[in-house]
Amino acid sequence: MLTTTKRAQKKRSEMTFEKCVRCGSCMKICPIFDAMGEEQYSPRGKLYLLQVMDKVESDPELAKEFRRLLFQCAMCGRCTDVCSSDVDLLRIWHEQRARAIKDAPQEFAYLGALEKSLENVKNIYGLSPEDRAVYWLDELEQEIPNLRKRVFPEAKTADVVVFLGCLMSFRASQVDVLRALFKSLEILKVDYLVLGAEEFCCGHPLDLMGDEAGAKKLRTHNKRVIKQTGAKQLITCCPGCLSQLQNNYNFTGIEVLHHTQFFDRLLQSIEPYKQTEEFTYHDPCELHRICNVKTEPRSLLKKMGVQFRELELSCCGGGGLLRMTDPNLSDKIQQLRAAREKLSSTTVITACPACREQLLGNNLKTKDIIELLVTCLSEAKG
Amino acid sequence: MRLRDVVAGANASMYYRTDFRRIKAVYYPQTERDAVEAIAKAREMGYDVTPKGAGSGLSGACTGGNRDRVIITTLRMNRVLSISPDHTYADVQPGATPDEINAVLAPSTMRFHVTPSSRDVATVGGMLSTDSGGNDAWLHGTMRDNTLRAKILTYDGKQIEVGREGVRCEDTSLEDDLNRKALTLNDIADAHGLLGFVTELRLALKPIGDETVMAGLVECTDISELGSVVQDIISAKIPVTYGETVIYAHPDIRGSLNPPLLVLEFPEAHLRDLQSITRLRMLTREELAELKDIRLKLAKRTPKRGLQISLFEDYGFYGHNLSRLQERVERIDSYLREHSFEPLAKYGHAPTKWYMGDNTQANGIIMHSNEIKQPRQSSSDVFETAMGLVRLCEELGVTPKPEHKWIYSDYAKLARIRELREVIGGGFNSFILDPDCGAVLSTMIQ
Ligand SMILES: Cc1cc2nc3c(=O)[nH]c(=O)nc-3n(C[C@H](O)[C@H](O)[C@H](O)COP(=O)(O)OP(=O)(O)OC[C@H]3O[C@@H](n4cnc5c(N)ncnc54)[C@H](O)[C@@H]3O)c2cc1C
Ligand code: SF4
Ligand code: SF4
Repeated sequence: MLTTTKRAQKKRSEMTFEKCVRCGSCMKICPIFDAMGEEQYSPRGKLYLLQVMDKVESDPELAKEFRRLLFQCAMCGRCTDVCSSDVDLLRIWHEQRARAIKDAPQEFAYLGALEKSLENVKNIYGLSPEDRAVYWLDELEQEIPNLRKRVFPEAKTADVVVFLGCLMSFRASQVDVLRALFKSLEILKVDYLVLGAEEFCCGHPLDLMGDEAGAKKLRTHNKRVIKQTGAKQLITCCPGCLSQLQNNYNFTGIEVLHHTQFFDRLLQSIEPYKQTEEFTYHDPCELHRICNVKTEPRSLLKKMGVQFRELELSCCGGGGLLRMTDPNLSDKIQQLRAAREKLSSTTVITACPACREQLLGNNLKTKDIIELLVTCLSEAKG
Repeated sequence: MRLRDVVAGANASMYYRTDFRRIKAVYYPQTERDAVEAIAKAREMGYDVTPKGAGSGLSGACTGGNRDRVIITTLRMNRVLSISPDHTYADVQPGATPDEINAVLAPSTMRFHVTPSSRDVATVGGMLSTDSGGNDAWLHGTMRDNTLRAKILTYDGKQIEVGREGVRCEDTSLEDDLNRKALTLNDIADAHGLLGFVTELRLALKPIGDETVMAGLVECTDISELGSVVQDIISAKIPVTYGETVIYAHPDIRGSLNPPLLVLEFPEAHLRDLQSITRLRMLTREELAELKDIRLKLAKRTPKRGLQISLFEDYGFYGHNLSRLQERVERIDSYLREHSFEPLAKYGHAPTKWYMGDNTQANGIIMHSNEIKQPRQSSSDVFETAMGLVRLCEELGVTPKPEHKWIYSDYAKLARIRELREVIGGGFNSFILDPDCGAVLSTMIQ
């Protein structure tokens, strides 16, 4: 029989952080390290702390500090991408976050409110579930007359289901993107519907907290409703939702696509975009690294003839719940980038509602790819 | 005690389980002034100073052992301060990496030509302190060959400027004493921080070659053939611009590699010379890029079971050992297996050059080696095996024994450092000179 220590040793050796050879390659590319400049904020630093945890956790203050450090991470996945030693850093951050909340729930009371809101009203804002299809519908109904009929359950079935996600459903700052999305779908005569009040949060925030049970409940509901629509394709503009829908929902018979993928496939050629401003392109981390959608946004921009400057494959600072756990750090990441990559003189094209919020919050100009596309499609339509 | 202190122990060597309660303070200076102040605080408290760059070194020296100590890291001293008007040199802070320096130089045709595989993180301060070299060291030399001068702070806060010819210092009596001892950059190179804290380096820049280069793969039937090919390239003085070898790769990480092999990039004008030495399979640009990437990552690859460990860096094969490479590597491997370490990868720069502790130059192959460690192997098993390797290398004449990353057993270098510290003073990384250094290091292995 294994002794407790041996069992603990075995368990530890199976954890992939033990594989880290501490080469340091993940240090300088980490936005948190970049902003803070000290090693404990770097992925190597955190993995090192896990490797010597037996020496650390006996000190309650150090253990507490470590739990806080785990939430000072944008979950951007750059560290996982760069590591050549098979260390699945993102998985480790997920697991350790879950463990931290379990070990010391009192330290994460501020996340409790979010968890409660997701449990009670199924969205991150604590607003009534009925309001999911109220704000944007009020705003857009006149311009897109049939829109109300596109909302489930009034619309019962369709080829394509649009999954909006919490940000796009509730935030006024996202209405321009929604307008562009719906108009594009209308112009291209796509048979689509929107889930409306029957859409629950995709579960991403809970996944980021390591609350698997809570995320599963939300998934089960969404899956059931989506199945009822008989759709063959599910599209979303939100890479966070996309990562959940693609990786954790296990759909059969339904293809899950980012909106850039959907339109890139649909359109072989596009009326050229009449460009009057300087553009840069920011890859949303979850889209680029986690969902591996790299070519389609660029392909769409190319088809529209848009000239743009590629930005460093870095994070906007808005991921991994960082806006909640450390808003100042989140802003600092964006400000450092903006200064380094001279963003204030350009419009940053992106394809993620969370990046959009982060850019707008830091007074930068931004457009979703779909906003460019809709002008091309409208132009072509005359 | 905060986590910022604990984490100062993070480094790539197998000596990483430091007694962090003895780390009394950690500083991240941004300027030389900050560094002076940090050293002054250490001095006031009576603690030794451990300079730390990126912690990518494999000797454990950047941990400071287990003395009461202050760690000063250069991670925030990473600016390129200026580039000379003719672009022949750059003054940089010690925490800058080769990649960062070359990114600043990118608009020009000049580059800093020391390219260790760790060039994304290794700092030039740490690189000078270990006399780092890369895949183009054969052509461009090691860190000492590419450094024109270094500014160094002593424990009592004096600033000295060490060049290739000697020393300059405001304290003229110290300057005279150090010049009498003939202190030059050769001494700072490889000193593992023992002679002071490097705060600035003047680095030589050279143009990106404008000749057409070609790339080829040499696939050898055995390891000795590989050694002989390298020997012949060295004798023919072929200016190989990139030279890397893979001698062995465990099936877990081998992929499509078929070692022993040698990847070479060289001026087109030398194609015939190389073809007269060996069979070359010409590589396309894409194939070369792929092989370079595989080689770069080899140092970090991990086995499916067990953990990767680097018992020591590195094995320097030169002279007659090149033609006996097969036998030498077999001896090393059988020693490793006897001690239950399975070889994981053997690879390295070739042809290359490096310097011994007495500053003589060697040309040959620097072979890096990684092994598989099983959980049952204790820290003392690991350390004893590493020590046994040191003795084996001595017996086989594999030098430097075992090369510039292992100052602890380079007696010529150690004697020289002791002599210089009598003049310049101590206060930095003193644990390396302690008689119980080995015992201390052995406690830091997992
Ligand atoms: C994956 C991998 C690949 C590698 N490939 C190579 C290679 O190709 N070639 C090669 O030569 N090495 C290689 N190395 C080893 C390592 O990168 C080098 O030794 C490098 O020079 C260390 O630089 P560092 O900044 O990490 O220094 P550290 O490891 O932090 O320190 C090394 C030594 O320098 C001292 N030091 C650091 N900064 C200063 C300073 N400012 N003043 C005084 N002393 C200082 C430290 O006290 C310590 O003794 C590799 C390592 C890894 C992990
Ligand atoms: S890149 Fe991978 S092996 Fe290197 S320090 Fe980061 S996690 Fe560890
Ligand atoms: S996921 Fe991103 S923010 Fe988090 S440790 Fe990795 S690189 Fe840093």
